[in-house]
Amino acid sequence: MPGAPPKPEELVQISYDPPRADWRKTRFDFQKGTYCYSAAAKNLRYLDLPNPRDWQPYEADWKLPPNWKEIILKGMKERLEKFRSFRLFMDICVRCGACADKCHFFLGSADPKNMPVLRAELIRSVYRRYFTLAGRIFRGLAGARDLTEDVLKEWFYYFYQCTECRRCSVFCPFGIDTAEITIMVRELLNLVGVNTNWVLEPAANCFRTGNHLGIQPHTFKDSIDFAVDEIEEITGVRVEAPINKKGAEILFIVPSADYFAVPHYYTLLGYLMLFHEIGLDYTFSAYASEGGNFGFFSSHEMMKRLNAKIYAEAKRLGVKWILGGECGHMWRVIHQYMDTLNGPADFLEEPVSPITGTRFANARSTKMVHICEFTSDLIYNRKLKLDPSRNDHWKVTFHDSCNPARGMGLLEEPRYIIRNVANHFYEMPENTIREQTFCCGSGAGLGTDENIDMRLRGGLPRANAAKYVRDKYGVNLLTCICAIDKATLPTALEYWTPGVEVGGIHELVANALVMKGEKERITDVRGEPLQLGKEATVNA
Amino acid sequence: MVKISAERKRAIAQAWLEMTLCTYPSQSMQFMLDERDRFRNPVGHALKNGIPLLINEILDETDSERARQALEEIVRIRAVQNFSARDAVGFVFLLKRTLSQELPDDNKDRLELERRVDEMALTAFDFYSQCRAKISDIQVSEARRRVAQLQRIYSEAEGR
Repeated sequence: MPGAPPKPEELVQISYDPPRADWRKTRFDFQKGTYCYSAAAKNLRYLDLPNPRDWQPYEADWKLPPNWKEIILKGMKERLEKFRSFRLFMDICVRCGACADKCHFFLGSADPKNMPVLRAELIRSVYRRYFTLAGRIFRGLAGARDLTEDVLKEWFYYFYQCTECRRCSVFCPFGIDTAEITIMVRELLNLVGVNTNWVLEPAANCFRTGNHLGIQPHTFKDSIDFAVDEIEEITGVRVEAPINKKGAEILFIVPSADYFAVPHYYTLLGYLMLFHEIGLDYTFSAYASEGGNFGFFSSHEMMKRLNAKIYAEAKRLGVKWILGGECGHMWRVIHQYMDTLNGPADFLEEPVSPITGTRFANARSTKMVHICEFTSDLIYNRKLKLDPSRNDHWKVTFHDSCNPARGMGLLEEPRYIIRNVANHFYEMPENTIREQTFCCGSGAGLGTDENIDMRLRGGLPRANAAKYVRDKYGVNLLTCICAIDKATLPTALEYWTPGVEVGGIHELVANALVMKGEKERITDVRGEPLQLGKEATVNA
Repeated sequence: MVKISAERKRAIAQAWLEMTLCTYPSQSMQFMLDERDRFRNPVGHALKNGIPLLINEILDETDSERARQALEEIVRIRAVQNFSARDAVGFVFLLKRTLSQELPDDNKDRLELERRVDEMALTAFDFYSQCRAKISDIQVSEARRRVAQLQRIYSEAEGR
């Protein structure tokens, strides 16, 4: 920040010459609003992570261990040997630039180091220096550079400006998965105790009580009971919500925000109403009370530790298979990592819907089915009575949450549900949805208060597309199937695109679902008055 | 109204746009200038779309709502980018530099145009302040939403 205020004549003399320096020499500042605070020592201790201490990124001394460089290089060597993908991604990039303008952080910030190719170059240059012959001999000429404390700080700054959304990898002709590179760098940083509290506190809480906020089983039960009471107030129907019920057919896992945050909570009401209506034999677990896995944002080991509880609970409760709620990265962990981390889950059965008999062969290995697959199957088989006019106050668009969309290919099911439960559905522009969806800008552990400017930069491309459908069609609800989206997109939209609310797909299901014995609905599940007097259209 | 041909207007707009783009890192500038898809290039689009409207506002004093919106959109973006407050709104003053190249020093309209640029810069500063205040507000609302349900449950339990 400048010191003395500028004189009036200086105002017209702003330097507008761009920096021409080599990217390796351009410096950055830990400017307020653009980075996450460090992890509290207590959380590192709880998770048995190295180098617990008090420090902050904006301080000059990061209190690294004296042999930090040796630790990082040894960690790199181990990982290059263990993960073929890591070595491949270090070697294979030809700098074609196809990814360069695909990152939402680049589009919002215009910082070239947010081009995925250049962000990856921050570690590739170090890889070349220490792990390739050309780099060892020719150094800078071969695009190599020494690992210094400044380089480490740069890694921390920029690899916590990647939400691991994988949009860039869709465009890479070699299929380089930049998220995997980010995961590796964060893993390396963890080896010397460089990590953020927004990632490690939820991970530590999750490890202790089973969910991000550290909510204990009795409070979990209170939350679910509260929802049951509220459903009775809205619909007149008393639903059951079993917890830790041994021998239930299905274990149901939700992101914890579904029961302690809004607008997530309205989606929880939808699940409970739906399960009651179809008479599903299911149970929650008060211990696996979190679908989210913030271990995924720090290391493979931590991801494995947190993912294991879901399967441990499935075994303990003796269920046949697992159903998962509207969660984002939980699905990437399940779909792409679980099998080799904690699988195969051969003590469970291949999921079969007890209502329609549909066999979810796609989940044969993980035994875990996405709620949108489950519900769309119910609708397809005409098992639900639906009145979409009860969502007529919403003009809906759908944001493909990165992990379900790009991580597991769940593109049609959510749209199929929306078209059956709402009358007004408008897609955002083609190059901002489905595989090309823009991230919320706050995933992968970046969704914290102190990082707000960076998050808003990253959220701009998504909000910009939402603005288009708001202005063109009057869209006032952006639906999504990820808890981080639901927590952070309202913030981004309030800044960039006011007037567009955020909600879940099963919130719309809750409104549209005609339940046996229900009283006349006068409000939606948010308590907002319904537009009454319209003819019901029914899907049964 | 200041009489300037449409062609000169376009030239002034282009010069101002390029100077504004130069406040961004050189590696990103060209992309922001070249990419035409508004969804693939939201920042470049806001500038390319907004600056001609702002030029009309300065030269013709149309006092149009569209120009206000365009200015707000540009400032809203720059308020969260890597700029100090001074640099975030300072792009407006870059127009003075273009005008000084375009109009001779003794041009009778020059002072008036520069006054309008100053006005626009002050409006931009208002927008900037509003954006920063908005950021504080949205942080508070986000924190509330994050535990909204738990708070409802606790309030109800206390009320019993």
